[in-house]
Amino acid sequence: MKDARGSWYLLTGLVLGLAFGLVFAWVISPRAYGDTSPAFLRADFKDRYRAMIAVSFAANGNLPRAQARLNLLGDPDNTMAVAEQAQRAVADGSSPQEAQALELLAAALGEGTTPLPVTQEASGSAPQPSATPSRPALVVSPEVLPTDSPAAVVIVATDPPDAGSSPTTGTPASGAVRTGAVTATPLATRTPTPTPGAPFILEESTFICDRDLGQPLIQVLTQDSAGEPVPGVEVVVIWEGGEDHFFTGLKPELGLGYADFSMAPGTVYSLRLAAGGQPVPDLASAECETESGSRYWGSWLLVFTQP
Amino acid sequence: MRWFRFLLMLSLGAALGLIYGWMVNPVKYVDTPPAALRVDYKSDYVLMVAEAYQAEGDLELAARRLALLGDRPPAELVREAMVWGSQAPYPEGDMDLLTRLASDLQTWNSLPGAPAPGETRP
Repeated sequence: MKDARGSWYLLTGLVLGLAFGLVFAWVISPRAYGDTSPAFLRADFKDRYRAMIAVSFAANGNLPRAQARLNLLGDPDNTMAVAEQAQRAVADGSSPQEAQALELLAAALGEGTTPLPVTQEASGSAPQPSATPSRPALVVSPEVLPTDSPAAVVIVATDPPDAGSSPTTGTPASGAVRTGAVTATPLATRTPTPTPGAPFILEESTFICDRDLGQPLIQVLTQDSAGEPVPGVEVVVIWEGGEDHFFTGLKPELGLGYADFSMAPGTVYSLRLAAGGQPVPDLASAECETESGSRYWGSWLLVFTQP
Repeated sequence: MRWFRFLLMLSLGAALGLIYGWMVNPVKYVDTPPAALRVDYKSDYVLMVAEAYQAEGDLELAARRLALLGDRPPAELVREAMVWGSQAPYPEGDMDLLTRLASDLQTWNSLPGAPAPGETRP
């Protein structure tokens, strides 16, 4: 006699077993919790991890290693993620050291260059050289230059003892601090600008009507005498009852020498570079008009160049 | 015989379910704390702290950074990273950095009045 139930019981057993296996693997005993990757960290922990990558990069100047570490975080755009965090850190002001390290990393990622490792003589500690130095280390002396900048530094590249010494000066960078304290984390690049340390002069000041900007901006471009963008330049904006600082290079997608500041309509601003140079007064937004008669706010474009 | 076949298929299904749930499509944790990182990622974080410490020389700051990885003593975290580094293996220069940090933390922990990991001084 043939069994009317056929082989359905086998399929039932398979399905029941499958369900039990999935419940056990996903609910009862899932994969160990301690095996996660940095990509799954909570957002604030990711920020801490990213800041640590930047601090480490500022210490050893190893850009490929920093990039590999950033890739672990799974950000769609590493450069943007670092630049955005640098902006937040500068605005926050709670950790100037990390803010500067993030700026340095953002600039290096945008530029694709590897800065020399930085050690700090000013910290009071005696940083020891690497056991096998692969390249000369940068020694930063908190030597205030004859400018008004409180954060100017002189960067001297020193070769290992057996390699002789050929000091060269690099590009001084301003500190990402609101306190005005002397700090010693430079924005170092392998390619010094043609006129390192030279003050910027205002080359162009143009009121522009560009509806695509969406809001009235003060756009700042800094470049060296060869026309190459200069990141990490501190810009100071002052208005009645307020002051703000920002840096070029934190929006690498718009250029390493680019920075902008949102103006409030009706407010008059004065802008200068923290390292000194010519202040630009009377910056205020004004209305522009399209051919159809609709109105929008215009912006200022200021180009600073090293002579 | 019938029950035997049924149990056989039940076991086969359970095995397939476990393979799928543990290996093919395991549970993915999101918003995890750093303490849940896999040992190689933790070790790399410790190495970053060691790299920064080599340049900054601030042991308290290094300990605070290590505290991100949990409540365990910083020296223990560094030792664990060194064990992983010797298995990976890490380059000699990186191992030197870890060794120096571990050594300094050991001394620092034994100093009277040294703040505990994560503790902030007034």
